[in-house]
Amino acid sequence: MSVTQPGIDTPLTGFVGEVLEALGDLVVDIEQCGPRRGIARIDPARTIEAAQKMSAMEGSRLATATGIDVRDGIDVLYHWAFEPQGAVVTLKVLAARPDLAVDSVATVIPAANWIEREMHDLLGANFRNHPDMRRLILDDSWPEGVYPLRKSFDQVADRPPLPPNQSPPDVDLNAKRQGRS
Amino acid sequence: MALTTWALRKSLWVYHVNAGACNNCDIEVLALLTPRFDIERLGMILVGSPRHADVLAVTGVCTRQTMPRLQEVYMQTPKPCVVLAIGSCANAQGIFTEAYHMGATVDQAIKAVDPEAIILYVPGCPPKPEAMIAAAAKGMEFLKTL
Repeated sequence: MSVTQPGIDTPLTGFVGEVLEALGDLVVDIEQCGPRRGIARIDPARTIEAAQKMSAMEGSRLATATGIDVRDGIDVLYHWAFEPQGAVVTLKVLAARPDLAVDSVATVIPAANWIEREMHDLLGANFRNHPDMRRLILDDSWPEGVYPLRKSFDQVADRPPLPPNQSPPDVDLNAKRQGRS
Repeated sequence: MALTTWALRKSLWVYHVNAGACNNCDIEVLALLTPRFDIERLGMILVGSPRHADVLAVTGVCTRQTMPRLQEVYMQTPKPCVVLAIGSCANAQGIFTEAYHMGATVDQAIKAVDPEAIILYVPGCPPKPEAMIAAAAKGMEFLKTL
């Protein structure tokens, strides 16, 4: 079976093709469609609808989500695993600049809750209507508004200062660290 | 040699601190307790509180989040106290040295609260239990000189 959606050149083949076809016009671009791996970009305004459709499919599971700092904003990738078929379908949503916001799917998929918090911590993507957007993995002394996995963040030079020592500061740890790096 | 020091080196009690390790060193520390290595024959025993401990077995890179807690645990340990920095990460942060979430190294963090701290380095990724036993033996030798 091989069909082509209007406006999209990649032929939809096999099980992954069926999944992407079922999403209909939510899909705006297909980057890859192989027998067991599919990557498609979906309409940023309709992420919740896409998540509902995917979770309603038989055998689907939100395996994880990842974020990438790209030129136009932050790409949020939801990886859906279909274990009976051994396939993985990735749905890309762009959280566009300047507000880097995208609708949270945690309201309909509870499994997305923590991974969206992590993307907010590390990349600064904003998830609209997220049920519990507290800090998840950065440490307590980390300043607000510094996102360590952005491409503009230098892992050594841009590190925030360490929390103060517990006792009278005989040694300034921050000074030592500057000298080392 | 003071009576307390003499008694101390006969029975070193160990408190294990994980300061952000990947768990591999922790598994090797656990192997120390098994009959094959059996550190209890040397009078050493793992205890559940730093207030009961003479040795801190520190594994892990010492992240920003654990650094103040490691310093707090060190200060709660009665002195003299031997710190075993176990593994490449605890020695010099290993492959994570240029990562955004690093605190100071274990020795720097502890020397910041006590410049006179006794720190023994056990290199390896993970170090063998034999290496940790050798470090503990060196710690006992050092305590004789106090």
